[in-house]
Amino acid sequence: MLPIVLLSILGLVVLFLGFQKSKNLLLPATLLVLAIVLVANFLHWNDMPSLYFKNMLFENKFTMAFSGIVIFSAFLIVALTRGFVDDESAQPAEYYTLMLFSLVGAVMMIGFENLIMLFVGIEILSVSMFILTGSDKKNLRSNEAALKYFLMGAFATGIMLFGMALLYGATGSFNLTAIKGYVMANNAPSAMLYVGLLMLLIGMLFKVSAAPFHFWTPDVYDGAPTIFTTYMSTIVKTAGFAAIYRLLSGSFSGIYSFWWMTLAVITVLTLLAGNITAVYQTSFKRMMAYSSISHAGYLLLSLTALTNQSQSAIVFYSLAYSIATISAFGVLMLVAKETGVHSYENAERFEAFNGLGKKNPLLAFVLTVSMLSLAGIPLTAGFWGKFFVFSSAADRGLTWMLVIAILMSTVGIYYYFKAIIAAYMREGELSAIKVSPFYRLILIATTIITLVFGLMPDFLKGLV
Amino acid sequence: MNYLPSDYLPILIQLGLALAFIVGTMLVTHSIGPKRNSKLKDEAFECGIESQGDARTPISIKYFLVAILFVLFDVEVIFMYPWAVNFIKLGSDGFIEMILFMGLLLAGFYYIIRKGVLEWEK
Repeated sequence: MLPIVLLSILGLVVLFLGFQKSKNLLLPATLLVLAIVLVANFLHWNDMPSLYFKNMLFENKFTMAFSGIVIFSAFLIVALTRGFVDDESAQPAEYYTLMLFSLVGAVMMIGFENLIMLFVGIEILSVSMFILTGSDKKNLRSNEAALKYFLMGAFATGIMLFGMALLYGATGSFNLTAIKGYVMANNAPSAMLYVGLLMLLIGMLFKVSAAPFHFWTPDVYDGAPTIFTTYMSTIVKTAGFAAIYRLLSGSFSGIYSFWWMTLAVITVLTLLAGNITAVYQTSFKRMMAYSSISHAGYLLLSLTALTNQSQSAIVFYSLAYSIATISAFGVLMLVAKETGVHSYENAERFEAFNGLGKKNPLLAFVLTVSMLSLAGIPLTAGFWGKFFVFSSAADRGLTWMLVIAILMSTVGIYYYFKAIIAAYMREGELSAIKVSPFYRLILIATTIITLVFGLMPDFLKGLV
Repeated sequence: MNYLPSDYLPILIQLGLALAFIVGTMLVTHSIGPKRNSKLKDEAFECGIESQGDARTPISIKYFLVAILFVLFDVEVIFMYPWAVNFIKLGSDGFIEMILFMGLLLAGFYYIIRKGVLEWEK
């Protein structure tokens, strides 16, 4: 609860800081806000699970862990913005404020106890994202991405709201516990409940870009400025999965036999669509968009299983995925800026990394570790993320899905290694890139976190 | 009272008749009506005045800003009415909540003024 209040108030403070002539204060101020919120988030770590705001919001270790991941990712991403100083038409104060406000939405999505809160949270998060996607006003692709995201997102929201209305019609309440009570008490729930649940799931699966609702993802992720692509592919996804988990485990575990097959088909489709299409991409940024679809598939696998392990599995997976994605995009932003000077076309392709290893050994190493983590190679956090997810699926006995998931993660190795091969084995005229000390520190930190969790996965797993 | 599906038959007949009337009149007017086309007749008619230019001209963003701000502050007043009616019932909690709401809104208002959105000639 504290993060929501603090983010709202301090977000306004950052917005008003933007009226000052000098924009140099904005980046440290935003980082300070995020650090305060991160501490405030864990203040009540040892307390009992509790409800806030007239039973609207719920807080326990799971929601705090997820809020922590989201806020920490936001901290890293904001640190990589470099204050938007190179872009003259940028509006740094507004960008930072929107990021802080969107975090309010993310925290609400993670801790919702009432479907109304879920809706408000999703809207706060999405509306901020629509604006940030189109923040590169002069770029036609950015405009297209924003419009596409907005129209499709609005449509998905409509379906989701319809689903919530039907759930209310069936159960007479928006409260998760009350809905669970209805599901448990009635042997033959009304058809409205089933339709409502499916429509609500469609809306939420759209937000996390699961197939067959993934078609907007590549265009939007590709068109948006890279920094906001990073934001979308980590924070929106993490919050979305926390919300789906809370919904399914909190209210609908009683009718598991009804929805598991639907989710299983969507999971398999997502894994196939994400991984196989990613193979054919020539643009690294677009490949990362498809890779985010495929990671949504792995997370969905754990949700489909919905065992006792699923909770800690998705916490760990989200953290591993977010950290690796942030460092990959961090390197891409530096390299794209360097190559973009010579040829705008090639800036975000795999070829942009050609010869990275020779002159910029640190950047190449950071890129390599993040790619290995995303591919799920041992000794990185990504491996244990996949391991926990797969073992939760194995517990439920979903062997056929496991086979597909493992096959698809071998496909993943192919396209993630394309970046590593470009960095180390191809010749390129990339000169030594100047990296500011703070930027370097963040990249090193994400790499170390990935490696530490790869060596000691139990460190986090024991907490939640 | 229980209705059988056959009880809804009149509604179906009504629907069919309505559709048949529309399709029928359209077909008949198209087939028996005279067709005399001329350039003058195809022109857009606007009170006898010759139409000029394209309707899709760019309009200053200020109009949209003022319009959207109007909607925002208009909706705010809609929240005030039920609050005022239930003022005593909601008590001090309701009062504090409203102050918070208005405070956030006024922060936005201050932002708009500082950004110069309301300065028309600039």
